[in-house]
Amino acid sequence: MNQTLTATVLVAIAIILVEVQRLGVGKDLFIGAIRSFIQLMAIGYVLQYIFNLEKLPYQILLLLIMVVIASFTAKGRAKELPGAFFISFIAILTGATFTLGLMLLLRLISTEPNYLIPLGGMVIGNTMNGTALVLMRVSEGMKDKRNEIEALLALGASPRYASSRVLKSSVRAALLPFINTMKIVGLIQLPGAMTGMMIAGASPIEATRVQIMVMYMISASVTTGTMIASLLSYRAFFNRAHQLIELP
Amino acid sequence: MTIFSLENVSLKRGGKALLKNINFTVKRGEIFSIFGPSGAGKSSLLRLFNRLYEPETGKIFFNGKDIREYDPEELRKRVGMVFQIPVMFEGTVEENLKIGADIWGINIEPENLMEMVQLNKDKLHQKANRLSVGEAQRVAIARTLALEPEVLLMDEPTSALDPATTLGIENLVKKLNRELQLTVIFVSHNIQQIERLGGRGLLLVDGEIKETGEIDHILKSPNTEEMMKFLSGEKL
Repeated sequence: MNQTLTATVLVAIAIILVEVQRLGVGKDLFIGAIRSFIQLMAIGYVLQYIFNLEKLPYQILLLLIMVVIASFTAKGRAKELPGAFFISFIAILTGATFTLGLMLLLRLISTEPNYLIPLGGMVIGNTMNGTALVLMRVSEGMKDKRNEIEALLALGASPRYASSRVLKSSVRAALLPFINTMKIVGLIQLPGAMTGMMIAGASPIEATRVQIMVMYMISASVTTGTMIASLLSYRAFFNRAHQLIELP
Repeated sequence: MTIFSLENVSLKRGGKALLKNINFTVKRGEIFSIFGPSGAGKSSLLRLFNRLYEPETGKIFFNGKDIREYDPEELRKRVGMVFQIPVMFEGTVEENLKIGADIWGINIEPENLMEMVQLNKDKLHQKANRLSVGEAQRVAIARTLALEPEVLLMDEPTSALDPATTLGIENLVKKLNRELQLTVIFVSHNIQQIERLGGRGLLLVDGEIKETGEIDHILKSPNTEEMMKFLSGEKL
């Protein structure tokens, strides 16, 4: 705790610097520092409590809460899409369950809370980012490409076929940031899981092994989640007569 | 023989009434023009025939059957549509011609389609987005014809074209109507174009039919004040 409090000196320095330079973000930086302190301390105590319980159902419940919060966050980034929360929830839940479930079945990770919760958090967080991006792109694409979609419908295409170009480009766009991160991982900065393990005393080789596993898990979850989100989201733009609905 | 029949059709979109109490019939094999000033609801009316839009009230019959009883995709295959601005997809002209046919698993002969719309076959392997608007419109027509529709809906297909290309498209429409016995429902705001196309038609103003009948007859002896104003180019 003393270390944490001492580290606040660094934030204080940062705030003084931006204030001296009159950058106008001193207040935001102060609020950000306070919020991050409270949020992280709170989640730390919650995690400690769940770790102490050593019961799998509580861990699953916590992961489900994370999925719900992630779905609300993804929904917030795609406000115009009807049913965005439900779509995000299904996409994130499926992506995370598929990946974590497979890893558990193959016994590559254990059900110990110190494994399952952080790994689940990383998988859910990344899938949330991918899902939010795909929902945003689909919403934009269905508006921008309305003429193309209508032309395909007029040729007798199903809504899914008519939207397929938009859906594919949306999933591609949502996966690109993650693919780019994978390409340069370790070259510029060390990723979070690896850094955390090394700080906790693990050897670099052991930390690397876990990090590679985490990256591959995330790639499977993000890909599954974004594809499910795209396949669920296009339906919101059509009615039962396979007509493009009016958007506000 | 009647191919399309509209009974008490009205349409609302975005909370605004676009069409009010529309009643008319289209005969198989004729050219039927829907004309009127901008914002009259012509394009919206056209989109009711292939169910891209849904009427608020009333019924539309295709070959004597309510269009809601058809599978929407099947209806759209049989009632093809050409838009004001031709949509060209990524790829070659040939790939564009095959889009609709691929959806339906139909084998097409691209050379024949090109001949039908009077386009040089050499353009088949050209990128579709490099075509002129007139050429792209012909490709869009050919792409629709590939599905062998019974009706061709044309939404101001010449509004972005120069006068010479416009005449070319009009002659093509007349040729297709004559040779394939294709029913054409043509939307236009240009009275000279309506005259050249002939057939029957209706004047639409503010979502209401103001005049209907044989084009020759309407032009020679208009019955309504709106039609007289439209003919003289006055604002409606």
